[in-house]
Amino acid sequence: MAEHFPQPVQQQLYSLNLGPQHPSTHGVLRVLLTLDGEYILKADPIIGYGHRGHEKMGENRTYLQFMPNSSRMDYLSGLLYNHGFCLAVEKLAGIDPPERAKYIRVICAELNRISSHLLWFGTFLMDLGAFTPFLYCFDDRENILDILDRVSGSRLTYSYCRFGGVARDVDEVFIDQTRAFIKRLRSRWPDYHNLVTKNIIFIHRVRDVGIIDKDLARRFGVTGPNLRAAGVPFDMRKVEPYEVYDRFDFEIPTGTKGDALDRYRVRLEEMEQSCRIIEQALDQLPGGAYRQERVRLKLTPPRGDVYFAFESARGQTAYYLVSDGSPYPYRVHVRVPSFGNLHCLTEVLRETLVADTIAILGSIDIVVPEIDR
Amino acid sequence: MAAKDEAVRRLREQLGEGALREDVEFRSGVSWTISCTPESLLSVMKIFNACGFYLESLTGLDFQDTLELVYHMNTYEPRARMAVRVLCPHDGEVPSVTGIFDSALWQEREAWEFFGVSFRGHPDLRRLLLPEDADYYPLRKDFGTVHAYRKREEVYG
Repeated sequence: MAEHFPQPVQQQLYSLNLGPQHPSTHGVLRVLLTLDGEYILKADPIIGYGHRGHEKMGENRTYLQFMPNSSRMDYLSGLLYNHGFCLAVEKLAGIDPPERAKYIRVICAELNRISSHLLWFGTFLMDLGAFTPFLYCFDDRENILDILDRVSGSRLTYSYCRFGGVARDVDEVFIDQTRAFIKRLRSRWPDYHNLVTKNIIFIHRVRDVGIIDKDLARRFGVTGPNLRAAGVPFDMRKVEPYEVYDRFDFEIPTGTKGDALDRYRVRLEEMEQSCRIIEQALDQLPGGAYRQERVRLKLTPPRGDVYFAFESARGQTAYYLVSDGSPYPYRVHVRVPSFGNLHCLTEVLRETLVADTIAILGSIDIVVPEIDR
Repeated sequence: MAAKDEAVRRLREQLGEGALREDVEFRSGVSWTISCTPESLLSVMKIFNACGFYLESLTGLDFQDTLELVYHMNTYEPRARMAVRVLCPHDGEVPSVTGIFDSALWQEREAWEFFGVSFRGHPDLRRLLLPEDADYYPLRKDFGTVHAYRKREEVYG
């Protein structure tokens, strides 16, 4: 009798390649998913498609020649990387830039952080299927790019910082434009919250999805907004204050659970905090020189190494420079935040739905060229 | 400052006074530098794990006479970063710390493919960033044109 009944269906697993050119992977990232129905059993991110060997290039260039490379590692927050590299070399060589330069750098870096977060905001929601917020964000982001374009001469891959200062001074127009932008961005918050934060479809897509808790974050070295969403107030600008960040009054936004909704809230709040920093910096902006005279083009820092960590838009970034006393660095190593942020996906994606994969991948804000270096 | 002091105390017990060096001014970006042998690496990493540290960065340095692996450990405290330095010969072997820190899974793969250090006990030693058939170690100084290839004491001397 029993053989007349259908045999139980054997468990059928199959593999699915997400990417390397899927719009939601934000670059050339391939995630090899092993699926059981719609559930993911195993996720293996495969990277390296955009590897350009920046670390090796660093060994063949002088410190100044490496400057444009730094912003090409992460093309969305290039100025922050540029700024960080500049500070690392200054720490190694013992250069102290004038006060005005420090403030200008902080203003531009925070503007760049907002533009990076705005792009994340737009593309994250586009991954979830909402197109309108994307247009709103790019409209706002365009303002920042115009301001930074005017002062630094490029729109994405900035090479604005110099050892001992910045390339060009800012003027009254820059200050007016920046103030006008902040006012405009603040007037947009109600729109964003009405459109997205209160949107019940959005909340159901991201709440309790892709939880990265404190312990998981520590094991995988997750930093930045993804770590702060888990409730750890860890921000390089507060923990190891560099430049003039210790003179400003700002907060570190944190979440509680570490799900995609918390990460969204943390980043949105972070943009507001960056606005506060910029406003204070503009108020305190001192006069004087914007660049230190007599910094040699062929810098020869003393022997030794320096590890300089700073907060980029995606988390804790660091340059590890080793100098042998010649104009060429002996070794340039970059610690990139997306590396750990992406690596934890192998753990987070286990036993989630394919549809949630897109929400999780969007919410952790990776930039693949940054991982590949 | 509890975790940092606790780690220093236990490391001192484990390795002896001479292996630790403090950088009070935080000039090179680390508070303590720990010199360590490949044999004692795992016990050092266990101490860091127990004190709540995470593996921030793992990288190699190629010198004429030796390879050096630098592990940067950090915890969520102000200025608590520590560097663990392990010397190992070219084509040498160090124990894998993947059992203690998951983030080492990828970072060791990267160090292996770029420097040719093999990590004993790594569960999945495949190429991460390079093509699968790469049979060279690009970040070694004898690959391509580089400006200088020095002995270790010439850099740190």
